[in-house]
Amino acid sequence: MIRDESVELVERQALSSDAYLLHFRSESLFESFEPGQFTMVRLPEVPEFLLRRPYSFCDADSEGRFSLLVKEVGRGTRALARLPLGTDVSCLGPLGSAFALPSPEHTPVIVAGGVGIAPFVAFSRALHRDGRRGIVLLGGRSRSDLYLQEVFKALDMDVRCATEDGSYGRKGLVTDLLNEAFGDARLPALYSCGPSSMLRRVAEIARPLSVPHEVSLERRMGCGMGCCLGCVVYVRTKEGVSEYVRSCSEGPVFEADAVCWEHDPYPL
Amino acid sequence: MTSRVSQKHPDLSVEIAGIHMKGPLIAASGTFGYGTEYLELADYEAIGAIAVKGLYLEPRDGCRPPRIWETPSGMLNAIGLQEVGIKRFLDEKLPRLRELQKSILVNICGSSVEEYGELARLLDNVEGISGIEMNISCPNVHEGGILFGCDPDMAAYVTEVVRKATSLPVIPKLSPNVTDIAAVARKVESAGADAVSLINTMPAMAIDVETRKPRLANVVGGLSGPAIRPIALRLVYQASQVLSIPIIGIGGISSHEDVLEFVLAGASAVQIGTMGFVDPAVWRRTLDGLSDYCRRHRVHALRELTGGIIADVTAVPPGW
Repeated sequence: MIRDESVELVERQALSSDAYLLHFRSESLFESFEPGQFTMVRLPEVPEFLLRRPYSFCDADSEGRFSLLVKEVGRGTRALARLPLGTDVSCLGPLGSAFALPSPEHTPVIVAGGVGIAPFVAFSRALHRDGRRGIVLLGGRSRSDLYLQEVFKALDMDVRCATEDGSYGRKGLVTDLLNEAFGDARLPALYSCGPSSMLRRVAEIARPLSVPHEVSLERRMGCGMGCCLGCVVYVRTKEGVSEYVRSCSEGPVFEADAVCWEHDPYPL
Repeated sequence: MTSRVSQKHPDLSVEIAGIHMKGPLIAASGTFGYGTEYLELADYEAIGAIAVKGLYLEPRDGCRPPRIWETPSGMLNAIGLQEVGIKRFLDEKLPRLRELQKSILVNICGSSVEEYGELARLLDNVEGISGIEMNISCPNVHEGGILFGCDPDMAAYVTEVVRKATSLPVIPKLSPNVTDIAAVARKVESAGADAVSLINTMPAMAIDVETRKPRLANVVGGLSGPAIRPIALRLVYQASQVLSIPIIGIGGISSHEDVLEFVLAGASAVQIGTMGFVDPAVWRRTLDGLSDYCRRHRVHALRELTGGIIADVTAVPPGW
Protein backbone atom coordinates (compact mmCIF):
# COMPACT_ATOMS: atom_id res chain seq x y z
CA MET A 1 0.00 0.00 0.00
CA ILE A 2 1.46 3.33 -1.08
CA ARG A 3 1.26 6.03 1.59
CA ASP A 4 2.28 9.64 1.96
CA GLU A 5 3.70 9.58 5.46
CA SER A 6 5.05 12.37 7.60
CA VAL A 7 8.33 11.13 9.05
CA GLU A 8 10.69 12.86 11.49
CA LEU A 9 14.38 13.35 10.82
CA VAL A 10 15.95 11.95 13.98
CA GLU A 11 19.62 11.47 13.10
CA ARG A 12 22.15 12.66 10.58
CA GLN A 13 25.23 10.53 10.16
CA ALA A 14 28.02 12.09 8.09
CA LEU A 15 29.62 9.55 5.75
CA SER A 16 31.96 12.03 4.05
CA SER A 17 32.19 15.79 3.57
CA ASP A 18 29.10 15.79 1.35
CA ALA A 19 27.23 12.52 1.95
CA TYR A 20 24.94 11.71 4.83
CA LEU A 21 22.83 8.88 6.08
CA LEU A 22 19.57 10.49 7.19
CA HIS A 23 17.53 8.48 9.67
CA PHE A 24 13.79 9.04 9.88
CA ARG A 25 11.28 7.82 12.43
CA SER A 26 8.19 6.48 10.69
CA GLU A 27 4.93 4.78 11.44
CA SER A 28 4.82 2.21 8.67
CA LEU A 29 7.28 3.00 5.87
CA PHE A 30 10.19 1.37 7.72
CA GLU A 31 8.54 -2.03 7.54
CA SER A 32 6.61 -1.79 4.31
CA PHE A 33 9.35 -1.50 1.69
CA GLU A 34 11.30 -4.21 -0.09
CA PRO A 35 15.00 -3.73 -0.90
CA GLY A 36 15.29 -1.81 -4.16
CA GLN A 37 12.10 0.19 -3.71
CA PHE A 38 12.20 3.95 -3.30
CA THR A 39 10.43 6.89 -1.73
CA MET A 40 9.61 10.37 -3.07
CA VAL A 41 10.78 12.91 -0.51
CA ARG A 42 9.24 16.36 -0.32
CA LEU A 43 11.57 19.16 0.73
CA PRO A 44 9.76 21.06 3.45
CA GLU A 45 9.38 24.84 3.67
CA VAL A 46 11.17 25.49 0.40
CA PRO A 47 8.59 26.23 -2.29
CA GLU A 48 11.33 26.94 -4.81
CA PHE A 49 12.22 23.24 -4.78
CA LEU A 50 8.92 22.13 -6.16
CA LEU A 51 9.26 18.47 -6.98
CA ARG A 52 9.83 15.55 -4.68
CA ARG A 53 13.16 13.73 -4.90
CA PRO A 54 13.38 9.96 -5.37
CA TYR A 55 15.59 8.05 -2.93
CA SER A 56 16.07 4.30 -2.64
CA PHE A 57 15.37 3.02 0.84
CA CYS A 58 18.79 2.31 2.32
CA ASP A 59 18.07 0.48 5.53
CA ALA A 60 15.54 0.07 8.34
CA ASP A 61 15.57 -1.17 11.89
CA SER A 62 12.85 -2.81 13.92
CA GLU A 63 12.22 0.30 15.99
CA GLY A 64 10.48 2.31 13.33
CA ARG A 65 13.45 3.99 11.69
CA PHE A 66 14.53 3.92 8.07
CA SER A 67 17.46 5.63 6.41
CA LEU A 68 18.22 7.36 3.12
CA LEU A 69 21.65 8.06 1.69
CA VAL A 70 21.75 11.69 0.58
CA LYS A 71 24.68 13.20 -1.27
CA GLU A 72 24.86 16.94 -1.87
CA VAL A 73 24.93 17.37 -5.62
CA GLY A 74 22.88 20.54 -5.99
CA ARG A 75 20.87 23.06 -4.04
CA GLY A 76 17.89 20.77 -3.42
CA THR A 77 19.96 17.86 -2.13
CA ARG A 78 21.96 20.29 0.02
CA ALA A 79 18.73 21.63 1.55
CA LEU A 80 17.59 18.07 2.29
CA ALA A 81 20.93 16.97 3.72
CA ARG A 82 21.05 19.96 6.08
CA LEU A 83 17.51 19.88 7.44
CA PRO A 84 17.47 20.44 11.19
CA LEU A 85 16.93 17.34 13.28
CA GLY A 86 13.29 17.08 14.35
CA THR A 87 11.99 18.30 10.98
CA ASP A 88 8.96 16.46 9.65
CA VAL A 89 9.35 15.38 6.06
CA SER A 90 6.68 13.96 3.77
CA CYS A 91 7.73 10.66 2.20
CA LEU A 92 5.67 8.89 -0.45
CA GLY A 93 6.14 5.18 -0.84
CA PRO A 94 7.09 2.46 -1.05
CA LEU A 95 7.33 2.79 -4.81
CA GLY A 96 8.62 0.77 -7.74
CA SER A 97 10.03 -2.67 -8.23
CA ALA A 98 12.35 -4.51 -5.80
CA PHE A 99 15.41 -6.74 -6.17
CA ALA A 100 14.59 -10.43 -6.31
CA LEU A 101 16.59 -12.50 -3.82
CA PRO A 102 18.81 -14.94 -5.70
CA SER A 103 17.87 -18.60 -5.77
CA PRO A 104 19.76 -20.76 -3.19
CA GLU A 105 22.33 -22.08 -5.66
CA HIS A 106 23.40 -18.57 -6.68
CA THR A 107 25.93 -16.34 -4.90
CA PRO A 108 24.92 -12.70 -4.94
CA VAL A 109 27.54 -10.33 -6.34
CA ILE A 110 26.71 -6.68 -5.70
CA VAL A 111 28.38 -3.92 -7.71
CA ALA A 112 27.89 -0.36 -6.51
CA GLY A 113 29.36 3.00 -7.40
CA GLY A 114 29.14 5.91 -4.94
CA VAL A 115 25.63 6.47 -3.59
CA GLY A 116 24.48 3.51 -5.70
CA ILE A 117 25.30 1.49 -2.61
CA ALA A 118 22.11 2.71 -0.89
CA PRO A 119 19.58 -0.02 -1.78
CA PHE A 120 22.07 -2.81 -1.06
CA VAL A 121 22.17 -2.28 2.70
CA ALA A 122 18.58 -3.43 3.08
CA PHE A 123 19.19 -6.07 0.41
CA SER A 124 22.23 -7.46 2.27
CA ARG A 125 20.25 -7.43 5.49
CA ALA A 126 17.58 -9.56 3.82
CA LEU A 127 20.28 -11.96 2.59
CA HIS A 128 21.81 -12.09 6.06
CA ARG A 129 18.44 -12.88 7.60
CA ASP A 130 18.29 -15.93 5.32
CA GLY A 131 21.82 -16.96 6.32
CA ARG A 132 23.15 -16.04 2.88
CA ARG A 133 26.51 -14.48 2.09
CA GLY A 134 27.67 -12.56 -0.91
CA ILE A 135 30.33 -10.35 -2.41
CA VAL A 136 30.04 -6.55 -2.42
CA LEU A 137 32.18 -4.58 -4.86
CA LEU A 138 32.38 -0.88 -4.00
CA GLY A 139 33.80 1.72 -6.32
CA GLY A 140 34.42 5.44 -6.20
CA ARG A 141 36.81 8.16 -7.21
CA SER A 142 38.60 8.05 -3.90
CA ARG A 143 38.34 6.58 -0.43
CA SER A 144 35.74 9.12 0.70
CA ASP A 145 33.28 7.82 -1.93
CA LEU A 146 33.16 4.34 -0.42
CA TYR A 147 30.29 4.35 2.03
CA LEU A 148 29.11 1.96 4.72
CA GLN A 149 31.77 -0.75 4.32
CA GLU A 150 31.53 -1.69 7.98
CA VAL A 151 27.78 -2.23 7.70
CA PHE A 152 28.25 -4.75 4.90
CA LYS A 153 31.04 -6.48 6.81
CA ALA A 154 28.78 -6.78 9.86
CA LEU A 155 26.27 -8.50 7.57
CA ASP A 156 28.94 -11.08 6.64
CA MET A 157 29.41 -9.76 3.15
CA ASP A 158 32.78 -10.08 1.44
CA VAL A 159 33.56 -6.40 0.73
CA ARG A 160 36.09 -5.51 -2.00
CA CYS A 161 36.92 -1.97 -3.02
CA ALA A 162 38.40 -0.06 -5.93
CA THR A 163 39.21 3.63 -6.14
CA GLU A 164 40.22 5.54 -9.23
CA ASP A 165 42.97 7.40 -7.37
CA GLY A 166 44.19 4.30 -5.57
CA SER A 167 43.56 5.83 -2.12
CA TYR A 168 41.84 2.64 -0.98
CA GLY A 169 41.59 -0.93 -2.28
CA ARG A 170 42.50 -1.74 -5.85
CA LYS A 171 43.48 1.24 -8.00
CA GLY A 172 41.08 1.38 -10.90
CA LEU A 173 37.42 0.91 -11.64
CA VAL A 174 35.02 -1.27 -9.69
CA THR A 175 34.40 -3.23 -12.88
CA ASP A 176 38.06 -4.39 -12.71
CA LEU A 177 37.05 -6.45 -9.66
CA LEU A 178 34.23 -8.18 -11.44
CA ASN A 179 35.94 -11.12 -13.15
CA GLU A 180 37.75 -12.13 -9.99
CA ALA A 181 34.46 -12.02 -8.07
CA PHE A 182 32.82 -14.17 -10.73
CA GLY A 183 35.68 -16.67 -10.28
CA ASP A 184 35.15 -16.78 -6.50
CA ALA A 185 31.38 -17.03 -6.59
CA ARG A 186 29.91 -20.31 -7.67
CA LEU A 187 27.04 -19.37 -9.97
CA PRO A 188 27.05 -15.60 -9.47
CA ALA A 189 23.86 -13.53 -9.55
CA LEU A 190 24.64 -9.91 -10.21
CA TYR A 191 23.04 -6.78 -8.73
CA SER A 192 24.18 -3.31 -9.70
CA CYS A 193 23.47 0.34 -9.01
CA GLY A 194 25.55 3.43 -9.66
CA PRO A 195 26.65 5.81 -12.41
CA SER A 196 25.39 5.02 -15.91
CA SER A 197 28.83 4.38 -17.40
CA MET A 198 29.58 1.83 -14.66
CA LEU A 199 26.25 0.04 -15.07
CA ARG A 200 26.72 -0.19 -18.79
CA ARG A 201 30.23 -1.67 -18.39
CA VAL A 202 28.98 -4.17 -15.81
CA ALA A 203 26.24 -5.25 -18.21
CA GLU A 204 28.76 -5.64 -21.03
CA ILE A 205 30.91 -7.94 -18.89
CA ALA A 206 28.06 -9.99 -17.47
CA ARG A 207 26.02 -10.52 -20.58
CA PRO A 208 28.31 -12.90 -22.52
CA LEU A 209 28.67 -14.97 -19.34
CA SER A 210 24.86 -15.28 -19.01
CA VAL A 211 25.03 -14.12 -15.41
CA PRO A 212 21.56 -13.14 -14.15
CA HIS A 213 21.75 -9.40 -13.59
CA GLU A 214 19.36 -6.93 -11.99
CA VAL A 215 20.11 -3.24 -12.20
CA SER A 216 18.60 -0.29 -10.35
CA LEU A 217 18.43 2.78 -12.58
CA GLU A 218 18.39 6.22 -11.08
CA ARG A 219 16.35 8.65 -13.13
CA ARG A 220 15.01 12.12 -12.57
CA MET A 221 11.38 11.69 -11.55
CA GLY A 222 8.47 14.10 -11.37
CA CYS A 223 5.78 12.08 -9.65
CA GLY A 224 7.00 8.57 -8.82
CA MET A 225 3.47 7.35 -9.53
CA GLY A 226 3.70 6.61 -13.22
CA CYS A 227 1.94 9.72 -14.47
CA CYS A 228 4.47 12.33 -15.58
CA LEU A 229 6.44 9.98 -17.88
CA GLY A 230 9.59 11.95 -17.09
CA CYS A 231 11.68 9.00 -15.87
CA VAL A 232 11.47 6.64 -18.82
CA VAL A 233 14.07 4.03 -19.78
CA TYR A 234 14.26 2.40 -23.21
CA VAL A 235 13.88 -1.38 -22.78
CA ARG A 236 13.21 -4.46 -24.89
CA THR A 237 9.99 -6.03 -23.69
CA LYS A 238 9.29 -9.76 -23.55
CA GLU A 239 7.32 -9.38 -26.77
CA GLY A 240 10.55 -8.29 -28.46
CA VAL A 241 9.60 -4.67 -29.04
CA SER A 242 11.59 -1.77 -27.64
CA GLU A 243 9.78 1.02 -25.85
CA TYR A 244 10.05 3.65 -23.17
CA VAL A 245 8.88 2.35 -19.81
CA ARG A 246 8.70 4.20 -16.51
CA SER A 247 11.59 3.68 -14.11
CA CYS A 248 9.24 4.64 -11.25
CA SER A 249 6.68 1.96 -12.03
CA GLU A 250 8.18 -0.79 -14.19
CA GLY A 251 11.54 -0.06 -12.44
CA PRO A 252 13.72 1.19 -10.85
CA VAL A 253 14.98 -2.42 -10.75
CA PHE A 254 15.18 -3.92 -14.25
CA GLU A 255 16.58 -7.08 -15.79
CA ALA A 256 19.83 -5.66 -17.15
CA ASP A 257 19.46 -7.62 -20.40
CA ALA A 258 16.27 -5.75 -21.19
CA VAL A 259 17.83 -2.29 -20.95
CA CYS A 260 18.83 -0.72 -24.28
CA TRP A 261 22.07 0.84 -23.06
CA GLU A 262 22.79 2.42 -26.41
CA HIS A 263 19.77 4.66 -25.78
CA ASP A 264 21.08 5.78 -22.43
CA PRO A 265 20.68 9.54 -22.24
CA TYR A 266 23.36 10.00 -19.59
CA PRO A 267 26.57 8.71 -21.22
CA LEU A 268 28.83 10.08 -18.47
CA MET B 1 -33.62 26.90 7.69
CA THR B 2 -32.79 26.21 4.07
CA SER B 3 -30.15 28.90 4.03
CA ARG B 4 -28.51 27.54 7.16
CA VAL B 5 -28.27 24.09 5.56
CA SER B 6 -26.68 25.55 2.48
CA GLN B 7 -24.25 27.48 4.67
CA LYS B 8 -23.21 24.23 6.29
CA HIS B 9 -22.67 22.50 2.98
CA PRO B 10 -21.83 25.11 0.36
CA ASP B 11 -22.64 23.98 -3.16
CA LEU B 12 -19.32 23.41 -4.93
CA SER B 13 -20.82 21.66 -7.94
CA VAL B 14 -20.28 23.08 -11.37
CA GLU B 15 -21.61 22.48 -14.83
CA ILE B 16 -19.34 22.90 -17.82
CA ALA B 17 -20.88 22.49 -21.25
CA GLY B 18 -23.58 20.23 -19.83
CA ILE B 19 -21.07 18.13 -17.87
CA HIS B 20 -22.15 18.06 -14.25
CA MET B 21 -19.35 17.76 -11.67
CA LYS B 22 -19.68 17.44 -7.91
CA GLY B 23 -16.76 19.79 -7.46
CA PRO B 24 -14.69 22.19 -9.55
CA LEU B 25 -11.40 20.28 -9.44
CA ILE B 26 -10.36 18.40 -12.58
CA ALA B 27 -7.26 16.22 -12.92
CA ALA B 28 -5.20 17.81 -15.70
CA SER B 29 -4.30 15.88 -18.82
CA GLY B 30 -0.77 14.48 -18.82
CA THR B 31 -0.49 14.53 -15.04
CA PHE B 32 -3.01 11.86 -14.07
CA GLY B 33 -2.17 9.06 -16.50
CA TYR B 34 -5.21 7.16 -17.65
CA GLY B 35 -7.01 7.92 -14.41
CA THR B 36 -6.35 4.94 -12.16
CA GLU B 37 -2.68 5.50 -11.22
CA TYR B 38 -3.49 7.46 -8.05
CA LEU B 39 -6.22 5.17 -6.71
CA GLU B 40 -4.17 4.13 -3.66
CA LEU B 41 -3.30 7.67 -2.76
CA ALA B 42 -5.63 10.46 -3.88
CA ASP B 43 -9.14 11.10 -2.58
CA TYR B 44 -11.10 10.56 -5.78
CA GLU B 45 -14.28 11.81 -4.09
CA ALA B 46 -12.71 15.27 -4.17
CA ILE B 47 -12.02 15.08 -7.90
CA GLY B 48 -14.82 16.37 -10.12
CA ALA B 49 -13.56 15.02 -13.44
CA ILE B 50 -10.49 13.43 -14.97
CA ALA B 51 -8.80 14.59 -18.19
CA VAL B 52 -6.76 11.66 -19.50
CA LYS B 53 -3.33 11.77 -21.15
CA GLY B 54 -3.45 13.17 -24.67
CA LEU B 55 -4.24 10.59 -27.35
CA TYR B 56 -3.44 10.26 -31.01
CA LEU B 57 -4.81 7.62 -33.39
CA GLU B 58 -1.57 5.63 -33.07
CA PRO B 59 0.74 4.99 -30.08
CA ARG B 60 3.74 7.30 -29.74
CA ASP B 61 7.19 6.93 -28.15
CA GLY B 62 7.51 10.54 -27.10
CA CYS B 63 10.77 12.49 -26.72
CA ARG B 64 14.14 11.09 -25.78
CA PRO B 65 15.11 11.58 -22.12
CA PRO B 66 16.04 13.69 -20.24
CA ARG B 67 12.44 14.82 -20.26
CA ILE B 68 12.02 16.82 -17.08
CA TRP B 69 13.85 19.46 -15.08
CA GLU B 70 12.95 21.50 -12.05
CA THR B 71 13.14 25.29 -12.14
CA PRO B 72 12.20 27.69 -9.33
CA SER B 73 8.64 26.75 -8.36
CA GLY B 74 8.24 25.13 -11.74
CA MET B 75 8.54 21.91 -13.66
CA LEU B 76 9.96 21.90 -17.15
CA ASN B 77 8.95 18.96 -19.32
CA ALA B 78 9.29 17.68 -22.82
CA ILE B 79 7.55 14.31 -22.73
CA GLY B 80 6.40 14.64 -26.31
CA LEU B 81 3.08 12.89 -25.79
CA GLN B 82 4.15 9.31 -25.19
CA GLU B 83 0.76 7.58 -25.31
CA VAL B 84 -0.94 4.29 -26.14
CA GLY B 85 -3.13 5.36 -29.06
CA ILE B 86 -6.91 5.59 -29.16
CA LYS B 87 -7.54 1.87 -29.70
CA ARG B 88 -5.63 0.65 -26.68
CA PHE B 89 -7.17 3.44 -24.64
CA LEU B 90 -10.68 2.34 -25.52
CA ASP B 91 -9.94 -1.39 -25.14
CA GLU B 92 -7.62 -1.45 -22.12
CA LYS B 93 -7.76 1.82 -20.18
CA LEU B 94 -11.33 3.07 -20.46
CA PRO B 95 -13.09 0.05 -18.89
CA ARG B 96 -11.23 0.52 -15.57
CA LEU B 97 -11.54 4.27 -15.72
CA ARG B 98 -15.29 4.03 -16.31
CA GLU B 99 -15.68 1.99 -13.13
CA LEU B 100 -14.68 5.07 -11.12
CA GLN B 101 -17.91 6.75 -12.28
CA LYS B 102 -16.21 10.10 -12.80
CA SER B 103 -16.76 12.52 -15.60
CA ILE B 104 -14.08 11.71 -18.16
CA LEU B 105 -12.58 14.24 -20.54
CA VAL B 106 -10.61 12.63 -23.32
CA ASN B 107 -7.74 14.83 -24.46
CA ILE B 108 -7.08 14.44 -28.20
CA CYS B 109 -4.10 15.46 -30.30
CA GLY B 110 -3.44 15.31 -33.98
CA SER B 111 -0.66 15.74 -36.47
CA SER B 112 -3.29 16.93 -38.91
CA VAL B 113 -6.74 18.47 -38.74
CA GLU B 114 -8.16 15.21 -40.11
CA GLU B 115 -6.67 13.28 -37.20
CA TYR B 116 -8.52 15.47 -34.69
CA GLY B 117 -11.74 14.87 -36.62
CA GLU B 118 -11.20 11.12 -36.79
CA LEU B 119 -10.48 10.90 -33.05
CA ALA B 120 -13.62 12.89 -32.28
CA ARG B 121 -15.67 10.52 -34.46
CA LEU B 122 -14.22 7.48 -32.69
CA LEU B 123 -15.12 8.91 -29.29
CA ASP B 124 -18.64 9.97 -30.19
CA ASN B 125 -21.23 7.83 -28.41
CA VAL B 126 -18.61 5.91 -26.41
CA GLU B 127 -20.14 5.08 -23.05
CA GLY B 128 -18.63 6.92 -20.09
CA ILE B 129 -16.99 9.78 -21.95
CA SER B 130 -18.27 13.19 -20.97
CA GLY B 131 -16.35 15.48 -23.25
CA ILE B 132 -13.42 16.06 -25.56
CA GLU B 133 -10.54 18.32 -24.65
CA MET B 134 -8.59 19.31 -27.76
CA ASN B 135 -4.86 19.66 -27.25
CA ILE B 136 -3.93 22.39 -29.69
CA SER B 137 -1.20 23.74 -27.45
CA CYS B 138 1.45 21.10 -26.72
CA PRO B 139 4.86 22.76 -27.10
CA ASN B 140 6.76 19.45 -27.40
CA VAL B 141 5.55 17.87 -30.62
CA HIS B 142 6.88 19.00 -33.94
CA GLU B 143 3.77 18.68 -36.01
CA GLY B 144 0.31 19.84 -34.96
CA GLY B 145 0.04 20.71 -31.30
CA ILE B 146 0.92 24.30 -30.58
CA LEU B 147 0.98 25.17 -34.28
CA PHE B 148 -2.80 24.87 -34.31
CA GLY B 149 -3.27 26.78 -31.08
CA CYS B 150 -1.14 29.82 -31.88
CA ASP B 151 -3.01 30.87 -34.97
CA PRO B 152 -6.60 32.01 -34.27
CA ASP B 153 -7.93 30.94 -37.67
CA MET B 154 -6.24 27.54 -37.49
CA ALA B 155 -7.53 27.02 -33.94
CA ALA B 156 -11.02 27.86 -35.13
CA TYR B 157 -10.77 25.51 -38.09
CA VAL B 158 -9.68 22.51 -35.98
CA THR B 159 -12.42 23.28 -33.48
CA GLU B 160 -15.00 23.39 -36.25
CA VAL B 161 -13.86 20.02 -37.64
CA VAL B 162 -14.08 18.40 -34.20
CA ARG B 163 -17.42 20.10 -33.52
CA LYS B 164 -18.89 18.56 -36.67
CA ALA B 165 -17.51 15.11 -35.86
CA THR B 166 -19.05 14.67 -32.43
CA SER B 167 -22.06 15.41 -30.31
CA LEU B 168 -19.87 15.50 -27.18
CA PRO B 169 -18.92 18.81 -25.57
CA VAL B 170 -15.79 20.20 -27.27
CA ILE B 171 -13.20 21.98 -25.15
CA PRO B 172 -10.08 23.37 -26.88
CA LYS B 173 -7.07 23.63 -24.55
CA LEU B 174 -5.39 26.90 -25.43
CA SER B 175 -1.75 27.93 -25.43
CA PRO B 176 -0.41 30.84 -23.39
CA ASN B 177 2.05 31.46 -26.20
CA VAL B 178 -0.10 33.95 -28.09
CA THR B 179 -0.12 37.71 -28.46
CA ASP B 180 -3.87 38.09 -28.04
CA ILE B 181 -5.65 35.35 -26.10
CA ALA B 182 -8.98 37.14 -26.54
CA ALA B 183 -8.71 36.77 -30.31
CA VAL B 184 -8.07 33.00 -30.12
CA ALA B 185 -10.80 32.52 -27.50
CA ARG B 186 -13.37 34.45 -29.53
CA LYS B 187 -12.54 32.47 -32.67
CA VAL B 188 -12.86 29.03 -31.09
CA GLU B 189 -16.10 30.07 -29.41
CA SER B 190 -17.64 31.05 -32.71
CA ALA B 191 -16.31 27.83 -34.26
CA GLY B 192 -18.50 25.89 -31.82
CA ALA B 193 -16.38 25.30 -28.70
CA ASP B 194 -18.50 24.55 -25.63
CA ALA B 195 -15.81 25.68 -23.19
CA VAL B 196 -12.07 26.38 -23.20
CA SER B 197 -9.23 25.10 -21.01
CA LEU B 198 -6.39 27.49 -20.37
CA ILE B 199 -3.50 27.39 -20.10
CA ASN B 200 -1.26 24.61 -21.38
CA THR B 201 2.42 24.78 -20.37
CA MET B 202 4.51 27.84 -21.20
CA PRO B 203 7.33 27.19 -23.71
CA ALA B 204 10.60 27.44 -21.75
CA MET B 205 14.09 26.00 -21.39
CA ALA B 206 17.11 25.51 -19.11
CA ILE B 207 20.81 24.85 -19.74
CA ASP B 208 23.45 22.94 -17.77
CA VAL B 209 26.35 25.38 -17.82
CA GLU B 210 28.89 22.71 -16.82
CA THR B 211 28.22 20.62 -19.93
CA ARG B 212 26.74 23.49 -22.01
CA LYS B 213 23.90 21.15 -22.91
CA PRO B 214 20.19 21.81 -22.60
CA ARG B 215 18.54 20.19 -19.57
CA LEU B 216 15.97 18.57 -21.88
CA ALA B 217 16.83 16.38 -24.86
CA ASN B 218 14.14 18.26 -26.78
CA VAL B 219 16.02 21.50 -25.90
CA VAL B 220 12.77 23.42 -25.37
CA GLY B 221 9.93 22.19 -23.17
CA GLY B 222 6.84 23.39 -21.37
CA LEU B 223 6.86 25.03 -17.95
CA SER B 224 4.18 24.18 -15.40
CA GLY B 225 3.64 24.68 -11.69
CA PRO B 226 3.26 27.76 -9.46
CA ALA B 227 5.87 29.61 -11.55
CA ILE B 228 3.31 30.13 -14.32
CA ARG B 229 0.24 30.74 -12.15
CA PRO B 230 0.11 34.55 -12.40
CA ILE B 231 0.48 34.30 -16.18
CA ALA B 232 -2.32 31.75 -16.40
CA LEU B 233 -4.52 33.91 -14.20
CA ARG B 234 -4.03 36.93 -16.43
CA LEU B 235 -4.90 34.88 -19.53
CA VAL B 236 -8.05 33.48 -17.90
CA TYR B 237 -9.06 37.00 -16.94
CA GLN B 238 -8.50 38.36 -20.43
CA ALA B 239 -10.33 35.47 -22.09
CA SER B 240 -13.25 35.84 -19.71
CA GLN B 241 -13.73 39.45 -20.82
CA VAL B 242 -14.76 38.29 -24.29
CA LEU B 243 -16.23 34.79 -23.80
CA SER B 244 -19.70 33.64 -22.92
CA ILE B 245 -18.71 29.95 -22.79
CA PRO B 246 -17.18 28.59 -19.55
CA ILE B 247 -13.44 28.63 -18.85
CA ILE B 248 -11.47 25.89 -17.13
CA GLY B 249 -8.46 27.55 -15.48
CA ILE B 250 -5.11 25.73 -15.30
CA GLY B 251 -1.68 26.72 -14.03
CA GLY B 252 0.12 25.75 -10.82
CA ILE B 253 -2.99 25.55 -8.67
CA SER B 254 -2.16 24.09 -5.26
CA SER B 255 -4.69 25.48 -2.77
CA HIS B 256 -8.23 26.79 -2.43
CA GLU B 257 -6.91 30.36 -2.60
CA ASP B 258 -5.42 29.57 -5.99
CA VAL B 259 -8.72 28.09 -7.18
CA LEU B 260 -10.59 31.15 -5.96
CA GLU B 261 -8.23 33.48 -7.81
CA PHE B 262 -9.02 31.66 -11.04
CA VAL B 263 -12.74 31.58 -10.30
CA LEU B 264 -12.83 35.30 -9.50
CA ALA B 265 -10.89 35.96 -12.71
CA GLY B 266 -13.59 34.16 -14.67
CA ALA B 267 -13.06 30.39 -14.46
CA SER B 268 -15.97 28.02 -13.80
CA ALA B 269 -13.73 25.08 -12.92
CA VAL B 270 -10.01 24.43 -12.66
CA GLN B 271 -7.50 21.70 -13.37
CA ILE B 272 -4.72 20.58 -11.05
CA GLY B 273 -1.65 18.93 -12.54
CA THR B 274 1.90 19.42 -11.33
CA MET B 275 0.86 20.08 -7.74
CA GLY B 276 -0.81 16.68 -7.63
CA PHE B 277 2.69 15.20 -8.09
CA VAL B 278 3.99 17.23 -5.18
CA ASP B 279 1.08 16.67 -2.84
CA PRO B 280 -1.43 13.91 -3.63
CA ALA B 281 -3.60 15.26 -0.79
CA VAL B 282 -4.15 18.47 -2.77
CA TRP B 283 -7.64 17.37 -3.90
CA ARG B 284 -9.27 16.94 -0.50
CA ARG B 285 -7.36 19.81 1.10
CA THR B 286 -8.37 22.21 -1.67
CA LEU B 287 -12.00 21.15 -1.77
CA ASP B 288 -12.32 21.47 2.02
CA GLY B 289 -10.64 24.87 1.80
CA LEU B 290 -13.24 25.98 -0.74
CA SER B 291 -16.07 24.88 1.55
CA ASP B 292 -14.54 26.81 4.44
CA TYR B 293 -14.13 29.91 2.30
CA CYS B 294 -17.73 29.75 1.12
CA ARG B 295 -18.97 29.40 4.68
CA ARG B 296 -16.84 32.30 5.91
CA HIS B 297 -18.00 34.54 3.09
CA ARG B 298 -21.62 33.31 3.15
CA VAL B 299 -21.39 32.11 -0.42
CA HIS B 300 -24.10 29.52 -1.12
CA ALA B 301 -22.65 28.19 -4.34
CA LEU B 302 -19.11 28.51 -5.59
CA ARG B 303 -20.31 29.19 -9.12
CA GLU B 304 -21.74 32.54 -7.93
CA LEU B 305 -18.13 33.72 -7.65
CA THR B 306 -17.17 33.10 -11.28
CA GLY B 307 -15.95 36.39 -12.71
CA GLY B 308 -16.54 38.02 -9.33
CA ILE B 309 -13.34 40.05 -9.30
CA ILE B 310 -13.93 43.61 -8.14
CA ALA B 311 -11.76 45.46 -10.60
CA ASP B 312 -12.19 48.80 -8.82
CA VAL B 313 -9.53 48.56 -6.11
CA THR B 314 -11.00 51.51 -4.23
CA ALA B 315 -14.39 49.80 -3.82
CA VAL B 316 -15.29 48.33 -0.42
CA PRO B 317 -15.78 44.57 -0.71
CA PRO B 318 -19.25 43.27 0.24
CA GLY B 319 -19.56 42.25 3.85
CA TRP B 320 -16.79 44.55 5.12
